[in-house]
Amino acid sequence: MNPFGRYLLNKLFWYLLAFVAAMALNFFLPRLIPGNPVDAIVSQMAQGGGASGEAMQRVYDTYIVEFGLDKSPLEQFISYLGNLFRGDLGTSLGNYPTSVNSLIGAALPWTLALQLPTILLGWILGNILGALAAYKGGWVDRGAFLGSLAFSSIPYYGLAILLLYTFAVALPWFPTGGAYGFASSPSWTWGFIADAFRHYLLPFLSLLLVVIGGQAIGMRSMAIYELGADYVGYERSLGLREPRIVRGIFRNAMLPQITGLALSIGALAGGALITEIVFSYPGLGTVLFDAIRQNDYPVIQGVTMLITVAVLAANFLVDLTYGLIDPRIRTAHGAGA
Amino acid sequence: MAALLSVQNLRAAYRLANGVELHAVDDVSIDLREGEVLGVVGESGCGKSTLATILALNAAPPLYVKSGTMQVQGRHADLTESDPLPRSERGKLISTLPQSAMNAMNPTTRVRDLAYDVLRAHERTTRKAAWGRAGARLEQLGLPTRVLERYPHELSGGMRQRVITVISTLLDPTILIADEPTSALDVSSQRAVVEMLKDLLARKIISGVLFITHDLPLLRHIADRVAVMYAGKVAELGPTERVINTPEHPYARALVGSILVPEPHIRAARVLGIPGSPPDLAAMPKGCRFHPRCPLADTRSREEVPPLVEVGDSGSHFAACWRTLEARQLLAGNLVGGPDGRVG
Repeated sequence: MNPFGRYLLNKLFWYLLAFVAAMALNFFLPRLIPGNPVDAIVSQMAQGGGASGEAMQRVYDTYIVEFGLDKSPLEQFISYLGNLFRGDLGTSLGNYPTSVNSLIGAALPWTLALQLPTILLGWILGNILGALAAYKGGWVDRGAFLGSLAFSSIPYYGLAILLLYTFAVALPWFPTGGAYGFASSPSWTWGFIADAFRHYLLPFLSLLLVVIGGQAIGMRSMAIYELGADYVGYERSLGLREPRIVRGIFRNAMLPQITGLALSIGALAGGALITEIVFSYPGLGTVLFDAIRQNDYPVIQGVTMLITVAVLAANFLVDLTYGLIDPRIRTAHGAGA
Repeated sequence: MAALLSVQNLRAAYRLANGVELHAVDDVSIDLREGEVLGVVGESGCGKSTLATILALNAAPPLYVKSGTMQVQGRHADLTESDPLPRSERGKLISTLPQSAMNAMNPTTRVRDLAYDVLRAHERTTRKAAWGRAGARLEQLGLPTRVLERYPHELSGGMRQRVITVISTLLDPTILIADEPTSALDVSSQRAVVEMLKDLLARKIISGVLFITHDLPLLRHIADRVAVMYAGKVAELGPTERVINTPEHPYARALVGSILVPEPHIRAARVLGIPGSPPDLAAMPKGCRFHPRCPLADTRSREEVPPLVEVGDSGSHFAACWRTLEARQLLAGNLVGGPDGRVG
């Protein structure tokens, strides 16, 4: 087997190990939360009144068996893993009998719609801004750098609350929450799309500005470093055209930025949980938040598993592409693995 | 002999953040003749690399050229301008050979792509044609063409320096400014680079080389003339053998003497190192800049800057010293007096 293939296999093994470890944590950590989801369900039913204590006890026992909570934790874990490989994330305890798959399926599109454009657009705009600041210098640099620093230093949920208060409460230009108005329901009509867009703008902006700021700062410092490199002076003295030189500089400065992009796409699923909560956006963050409040183990596990898989996959992708992009790392892999 | 490159009254300074200017090159005039290698030698901080940077047209803040003109093949350039020569002339009229090939090559660019970029910047060419030309040049100079496929980090240090020499001269530049091209190399690689430069001159691919180094013995193998720099000024200028065998400026004599040379007549004139250290560029001594370290300095040396004037009768040997005559007398006396005579 060639060295790169061996390197890949080696990496794959470690990623698999990390995955199993993460799954174990996923399974056991929610169960350490005091309380029991069945208690919550039964006490809710009891509030309705009518049922006797004995009947309640029978309902309780039925749920315990139904959710498999009577088995030992290890048995539960093994059956959980088995279900996982069949693609079955189980049934929600809090929204019984809705399946976790359908809960996540309904929330995921909203999270993707919010996060994917922010990350991609923010990454592109941030890199252009950072490169421009480094290349132009002077006041362009000072302005771009200070602005980026300010936006990337604010916690993203802080900016979310700030925007929410300013443009939805103090100046009621935008709705305060939700993905669409109470009166409308999702459909592909212009009316709904316009309504969804109005709800979309504030959470989108609150994330976009932070991403741009962070990317611009990273790109700027990398580009300044590359601009000062000896090869730039050498290429200038050989009369190379400026766009040609600049392209080389930015390709080198991009290398760490590409890692950043892959990682933030990986963190996408869990990246804006609080933004979704602030704007009551019906994405994964809101689902996870509700699940934690209700001790809804299967949903918590489902969401965190999705996040884990995405982060691991992104890291693996970074390991792969980095070797392809940078010849120096390719050589090191070839020799070392 | 016609001057290929003529630099007049070059002054340049580094401007510090607090407004202080460090004059790294002060009133330097140098001629490079057709087919010649002119060596520029001096210790660290004497201004030789600053000179190279300016002549390579690479001066950038905090380095500012205060005055100076350059004439290359009938073209006149004002070095104080931000772009003394148009881009299309760079690399063709004047090219540079930098010290560290590792840093001078973009780490993610293959040699062949750099060669293509260099050729394409000056003429219409295709990738294939450019690679072909670079390959032919490599073969002509005795290097394997497979290095074209390589990234800089895949080449050994010596090979990298030879490859970058080929890249620097790919456009058949009239003048090559070589800034310590051999300083980071082992002796056999140094030799290879020097032989390559001679080969390039013999084949008339390049017409003249300004070779900057701190390695005086190396210059004996390549330079026709040598300029000794001290504290931003040319202290002595002359044919290599004359400067090494009969240095006139006390600093040049000390520099030659501080190097192990087997010939007895040079060993005889040996001094034990040079006392003191080069002056602080921010607080340059008045008069001759070497006077605080010079055993022969007199009142005039401390007050007036000595001009670079002809010494002896060769018509080609110059030194900037008020006391050359006295130095020669003293030296003659010492040689008679004892076998390990010293100056001062």
